[in-house]
Amino acid sequence: MARWGMVIDLEKCTGCQACTTACQMENSRLPGENWQDVLFYSEGEFPSGKLQWLPRPCMHCENPSCLAVCPTGATYKTEDGVVLINWEKCIGCKFCMIACPYGVRFYAAEKQKTQPDVREVFPPTGDKVWDPPYKMPEHVQNPKCGVGIQPENVVSKCTFCYHRISKAPEGTVDLDPNDPELRDFTPACVVTCAPTARFFGDLDNPESKVRKLIAEKRGTRLLDQTGNRPQVYYLAGEAPVIPETRSVRKPKA
Amino acid sequence: MTIATYSDAIGRYLDFGKKPSGMDIALMVVGAVSGAIGLSFVFYMLFTEGHAAFNTSSDMPWGAPIAFYLFFLLTSSGLSIIASLDTVFDLRVFYPIAKRAVFLSLICLIAGFSILALEIGRPFRMLWALPFAMQIRSPMWWMGVLYSIDLVLLFVKFYLIHVGDWHSRFSHLVARLSFVVCILAPGTLGLVFGMMTMRPAWYSNVMPMFFILTGFTTAVSFMLFFTSLLPRNPLVAPNVNQLYQEVLPRLFFISLLAVIAVRVGQIITGLWSNQEGLEANWLQLHSPYFWIEIVVGLALPTILMAFDSVRRYPRVQFIAASCFNIGVFFSRLEFLIIGQKVPLFKGYWAGYVDYSPSFTEWMLIPAGCGVFLLLYGAGNWLLRLSETEIGNH
Repeated sequence: MARWGMVIDLEKCTGCQACTTACQMENSRLPGENWQDVLFYSEGEFPSGKLQWLPRPCMHCENPSCLAVCPTGATYKTEDGVVLINWEKCIGCKFCMIACPYGVRFYAAEKQKTQPDVREVFPPTGDKVWDPPYKMPEHVQNPKCGVGIQPENVVSKCTFCYHRISKAPEGTVDLDPNDPELRDFTPACVVTCAPTARFFGDLDNPESKVRKLIAEKRGTRLLDQTGNRPQVYYLAGEAPVIPETRSVRKPKA
Repeated sequence: MTIATYSDAIGRYLDFGKKPSGMDIALMVVGAVSGAIGLSFVFYMLFTEGHAAFNTSSDMPWGAPIAFYLFFLLTSSGLSIIASLDTVFDLRVFYPIAKRAVFLSLICLIAGFSILALEIGRPFRMLWALPFAMQIRSPMWWMGVLYSIDLVLLFVKFYLIHVGDWHSRFSHLVARLSFVVCILAPGTLGLVFGMMTMRPAWYSNVMPMFFILTGFTTAVSFMLFFTSLLPRNPLVAPNVNQLYQEVLPRLFFISLLAVIAVRVGQIITGLWSNQEGLEANWLQLHSPYFWIEIVVGLALPTILMAFDSVRRYPRVQFIAASCFNIGVFFSRLEFLIIGQKVPLFKGYWAGYVDYSPSFTEWMLIPAGCGVFLLLYGAGNWLLRLSETEIGNH
């Protein structure tokens, strides 16, 4: 069984947010509910100020704190290393949102960040939060894995496109979007990444591309001190573009 | 059974024959009106807008309803501790308020659970999903289990003392169990926040103790508040008068000093540290809720309770207890906010999270307090709350 993980090469990432858009379309997200976000921030001050960015999906941690705090077992980890939410068990207590150090969980029942409210433009049918004109086919949606349009009052998050990767042929080591036979099993953000900054594969297999990249280019995990051990690695190269190493001045409170 | 037999059975437990006092009527009317207005508005908004009627967001997932829930639950546990002081520790001076404390604890718990039901996304699912999940690593799971046991034990405890069974072995066993649970439950609630290493403004191994302490102090102020409304006759019950005029105010003063000591420690540590996330402690200096806590909730009651010659008067007790309750109410809200003020991982460079409760969230106050006052007024009228183990005083 593979243990899926992602590598994001920050030296290649252009901050174009195509990953965000692809994720939105693939998973029928509400505007602003960016499972795959790109965070923009500035470093330094004039005349040496710089705009920086960091793509941030769910880290699908090896030891996820969101899983430990969930009182109903709605958050769980699959055998292939993916952290998912069973929407049929989630009670919307939002404790996982409190406990995730990366802030990658979302609760749709809040004031919308953009207007008009698309939930009113495309009103929901049944228990779902909305009914977008473009959406994942019904038979692909799976509330037990947090895949598809979510019901009201539950928490949602990136699934590593579990509806895709879980169908990958047994023994697959790398999900390479350039391989026509594997493209449909590769997460949408990896497929769409124009500068090929994203790689997806088996972290347990020494022959996988992701393992080699992590070893050769010093893959870094975010907030490693939390002990969550993310399965998303960043390749920062020589440039200090990971916010942990940022040298920015805090504003006076 | 005929209707008349049912009526007789109920009549044994409820004093329908007794005329309610003016205070009871006032409490019930105020409670019913504010509860009806608050609940109608909140239900209307939840049915029309859902939880979007709250100002919470994915960056600030827990808002005012959780703060109000904390207020009621911790006070309930504190009241349960007060109710145990007599039976568990044989502090006989507390017998006259034991029954009232158990009843107040019970209705605080009901008010807290009611607010939680309005806040949580899927309250009905919680009823089956939580007990069967057996998520023993989750402090929230333990909190749910312990507060459920607490509710059952409080019901049993109140029933036993209501039927006059103060000293049977079973009654004492229930009292001791209840005491253990009412220490563990707020302690676990403290762990829900204190265990969160990713939220530096909350992370603390003394959070359980802080919750138990503040819950106990709020409970003492609750007792002071409600006993200050009762008629006093030193000739009829000198021991009760001593309790109301000397013991309770003194206990309140000591507890207040303990809360101040812990809060000063928290504030200084928070302001001194450079760790990201703790700058929320600086930001809270600009928050009106923080200053309400410090000035109204801590400074004023401490001054009023400092002198024996002043603190014995019911009006002073009423004012001091009211001030403290208002202060604690807002301190719970500020506590919730500072833990989430700095966005996770993004830090301040994404901008601090702005949050102030929506009108719907504020309306939970008249809703929760209304239900609480209505139940208390009815209880004071019908349930002989001043009864002690040696009869009415």
